[in-house]
Amino acid sequence: MAFTSPEFLILVLAALLAYYLLPKRVQWVILLLASCAFYLAGGIGAMVYLLYTTVTTYIAGRWLGALNQKRQGSQAGAKLKRRKKAIVAVTAAANFGLLFMVKYWDATAQAMDNLTGLALPRLDLLLPLGLSFYMFQSMGYVIDCYRGKYPPQRNIAKYALFVSFFPQMVQGPISRFNQLGPQLTQPHPFCADQVKYGIQLAMWGYLKKLVIADRAAVVVNTVFQTPENYGGAMTAIAVGFYCVQLYCDFSGGIDITRGVAQLFGIDLAENFRRPVFAVSLTDYWRRWHITLGSWMKDYVFYPISLSKPFARLGKFTRRRIGGRLGKIIPTSLATFLVYFIIGIWHGANFRYIAFGLWNGVLITGALLLAGPFVRLRTRLHIAENSKWLHGFRLVRTMLLVFIGRYITRAPRLLVALDMLYTTVASPCLYQLRDGTLLRLGLQATDLAVIAVGVAAVLVVEFLQERGMQVRKSLEKRNPFLQWLCILLPLLILLFLGILRDAAISSEFIYKQF
Amino acid sequence: MKHSMSSKGWLLAFAGTVLLLVLLIMGFNFWTDPFGAFGDRFFQWWSYDETMNPRVAKLSYLEQNHEQYDSYVIGASHSSSYPTEALNTYFDAKFYNLIMYGADMKDVELTSQYVIEHYTVKNLVVSVYIHNAETYDTEANPLTYNLHYKVDGSSPLLFYAKYLLADPRIGLEKLQRSRTDPYLQQSYRVFDPETGAYDKSSRDVEPIGDLSAYLARAEYAAFTDYPTASTSIAYLEQCMESLARIKQMCQEAGVNLVVVCPPMYYAHLAQYSPQDQAAFYNALAEVTDYWDFTLSSVSYDPRYFYDTTHFRNCVGEMLLAKMFDDTSVYAPADLGRYVAQGQTPGQPQAEVPDVADYTASVPILVYHNLAETGEGSDTMSVERFTQHMAALQEAGYASVTFDDLRRYVEQGTPLPEKPVVITFDDGYESNYTLAYPILQQYNMKATFFVIGVSVGKDTYKDTGQPILPHFSLEQAQEMVASGLITIQSHGYDIHQAAGLEEGPVRQGILPLEGETEEDYIRYLRQDCQKMDELLGYTPGILAYPGGNATELSEVILSEMGIWCTLTIVEKNNTIIQGMPQSLRQLGRYYMKESITAGDLIYLLAG
Repeated sequence: MAFTSPEFLILVLAALLAYYLLPKRVQWVILLLASCAFYLAGGIGAMVYLLYTTVTTYIAGRWLGALNQKRQGSQAGAKLKRRKKAIVAVTAAANFGLLFMVKYWDATAQAMDNLTGLALPRLDLLLPLGLSFYMFQSMGYVIDCYRGKYPPQRNIAKYALFVSFFPQMVQGPISRFNQLGPQLTQPHPFCADQVKYGIQLAMWGYLKKLVIADRAAVVVNTVFQTPENYGGAMTAIAVGFYCVQLYCDFSGGIDITRGVAQLFGIDLAENFRRPVFAVSLTDYWRRWHITLGSWMKDYVFYPISLSKPFARLGKFTRRRIGGRLGKIIPTSLATFLVYFIIGIWHGANFRYIAFGLWNGVLITGALLLAGPFVRLRTRLHIAENSKWLHGFRLVRTMLLVFIGRYITRAPRLLVALDMLYTTVASPCLYQLRDGTLLRLGLQATDLAVIAVGVAAVLVVEFLQERGMQVRKSLEKRNPFLQWLCILLPLLILLFLGILRDAAISSEFIYKQF
Repeated sequence: MKHSMSSKGWLLAFAGTVLLLVLLIMGFNFWTDPFGAFGDRFFQWWSYDETMNPRVAKLSYLEQNHEQYDSYVIGASHSSSYPTEALNTYFDAKFYNLIMYGADMKDVELTSQYVIEHYTVKNLVVSVYIHNAETYDTEANPLTYNLHYKVDGSSPLLFYAKYLLADPRIGLEKLQRSRTDPYLQQSYRVFDPETGAYDKSSRDVEPIGDLSAYLARAEYAAFTDYPTASTSIAYLEQCMESLARIKQMCQEAGVNLVVVCPPMYYAHLAQYSPQDQAAFYNALAEVTDYWDFTLSSVSYDPRYFYDTTHFRNCVGEMLLAKMFDDTSVYAPADLGRYVAQGQTPGQPQAEVPDVADYTASVPILVYHNLAETGEGSDTMSVERFTQHMAALQEAGYASVTFDDLRRYVEQGTPLPEKPVVITFDDGYESNYTLAYPILQQYNMKATFFVIGVSVGKDTYKDTGQPILPHFSLEQAQEMVASGLITIQSHGYDIHQAAGLEEGPVRQGILPLEGETEEDYIRYLRQDCQKMDELLGYTPGILAYPGGNATELSEVILSEMGIWCTLTIVEKNNTIIQGMPQSLRQLGRYYMKESITAGDLIYLLAG
């Protein structure tokens, strides 16, 4: 059931009515029912995966909770810790193993066949909706239970709601149990503010998705389908459109998710913080897909860098290499690993691995080169807070992200490299003037809609970056203006989002991950 | 002054605005009603609505107009080709054609049931062919292929909600089309609202003759490389059960049920295995009596088909005549078999016909002025003309009239072995003074095409400018009385001469520059009427001045009673039995002084 389908709106509306009209104590049940309805619309098969993850992580959580309760002597403590570790390991293997089989087995088998000449069987499993999102979310819960961060949820139905809360099913955000769990089961009295903000946020998301992203996608698809037909300039333009598409698609989807959740009085974690204003790649990853990054930080990066082998490595490098380099090598390695995993998380393809490496190398490199950069800056007498420096950093980050997007969008890594080469080596600037732009599947009016839309998004985000609360400040304006801010987006959505050219499709990109 | 808006106020404003927009869309959809779901109260443009969704719109139309009808044809798109007028005559009834493109037997059954239960029904003609056994109960598109809720018993609420909340651009398109709708049939309105059948006004005047020329046309290219398809009559049982229920309904309601298997192009039928074919026709015979027109000599000639799967209306005329034993209408001997219930007819069989058995090659000659000495392109010497007539006679050519051609087409009356048609354009006095005696001498029949405004005149219209003299009505009557000469139309005033005309000059029958379609059509109709008044009868044949024919002119002339038109394209004509449109836009050989008798015979020998 797509966010953009009438069924989804009907489901939300029906759930909302029941949610606020029925007694408060059944509110969470309504959310669970709505979530089941949402997920069942995608077929009963996918439900099996969801139940599997729910049950395994629920049991692991309960078990870990029970073990945490036990009095710990020093001897028994070590044994207990080993048992707890084993539980986490088994649960992780059971879940990530399944994820691997569904998402990566066929590609792995292909690669193995190529290497060894074997003919491994293929599974051809369909990736169920949101699998990697809810799996990460529930594994985070298991690890938190292992760490004793909070007692486990005893009620399996309530826990199932945490795993399957329908707005975040498709593309996250990846929530934490201590943040989301209690909210889901608390009573929520009707709050007009919340509902209003929810509607506004969801509308903003729909605008980004339906009006901008889906249009930009047409250009992107056309060029990437036959990249050989286009010179470097057009390729770069297409990648630019892809950046627009990806951001508006993913952040639009998240806005819808968060907006819908807000209708029920539930705050979901932020997944984006205006990544276009990032000053470095590290900063970018703190602003883009935040919940995945922070999940990686808490459940991959720290465990790795605090693990015994890494401690030994640190000791070794400090002693043998010494200096700054010796100090940061273990951290860099862990960072590198994280981005490698993020790359693979996107899919079973070399280009995603390359994408992970691209980010890993740059960020590790930046870590290693931080010292020399500071020295260079002092020597050039550039102040840390210089506007020019800030601007330079913004553009540099954008450029690095831009290059990374070639890798994720091209069908294969080699194509991506080829397109990158074309961009530099044969720009074919004449294609900018000979009307090629209008033969990419969009009419001039659509291009104008994208341009205006992007400008609007940038203005809003710029204001937000400056600390302005756009919706709050709107409340102070006169009612007619406020009403226009209802009518115009609705009209734009209706005429440019819903009633648009049949050539424009509306699949969410992040649904596939 | 600043007012603030409370969040509750905002929510109300939001809900109100959404509601307003929804109501606006609903109102617009109700007003434009592109699918006819609401009875198209404001436009009553059924032709358009039925094209969008024949199942829904035709039912809405019948809800308002069913008193006008007492009999129905029903089935998928091929059911359109049973001509309503012939049905009405043969059945002595008032037929409405409930053809629904892509209809399966479920659609047919449910719609029949509704019609029988709610309207007066004397006859129900169900057209069913083997393709009906391939699908059952499919709905390709919920807006355009679904049945009316009254017919399939679905929820009226959902039905109306669906059409109220449909994409308003569909209604907008109807609105725009209604403003610029031309006279000829358009792809967005293919139905004739009164009969319910496809509007074939254009297709049925499209000139058809020589087979290779026909196949060379882009729209008929599919016949040379007939599409293959994998077929399976998986739904034979459901299809027959539906038909059995229809039969039951008809018996109970006292409705005369006529089941007809329509003609199929042989390659279409060949897509089904012989076993499947036998299974289908045997199963049908278990359920009911039926007329089987599936395979006959007609099936082997693509000219009898509008496209790879639809037989032409003219074939419909033939098969109705066959059903009603009307020998005054041509139909090939092997067309149709009557299968009584209980028989096992098996796979349809027919032999590949000899094309020469039902087609004729007919050259037409066009002369203009005669004089003692020939000059220019339009004037031929008496001597040369005499030579032509003598040569034709000697070579065994027999002159025939257009009525002879028509009888050949409509009744199958044979033509002489070497037919030729002699025509004279413009109606010059020399036709009377010089040509007529020679024609009499050689006993040659000829048709003279007169320009209405010039009859009996030697000046151009009312301008007084001298022109070649033209024979008078009295002279014409004298010639007609001889039985040799027929007087037909060269247009009343569509043969205008540059330099003599005072206003803008019409290029033959073509519209003037800037003339609206409405004005043009009115002009054409008036031109025809004036000719009728002048001659005292409606001429059935028109020779286009300058040869300019258009689709629109063909349609209008046909409506005005012109059943044969002539151009000046120099080609032989292939006349086809059972196909009146083989008499349209015929070619003619242009006769000049320079063409010797030998040249003429050589030309005709092809």
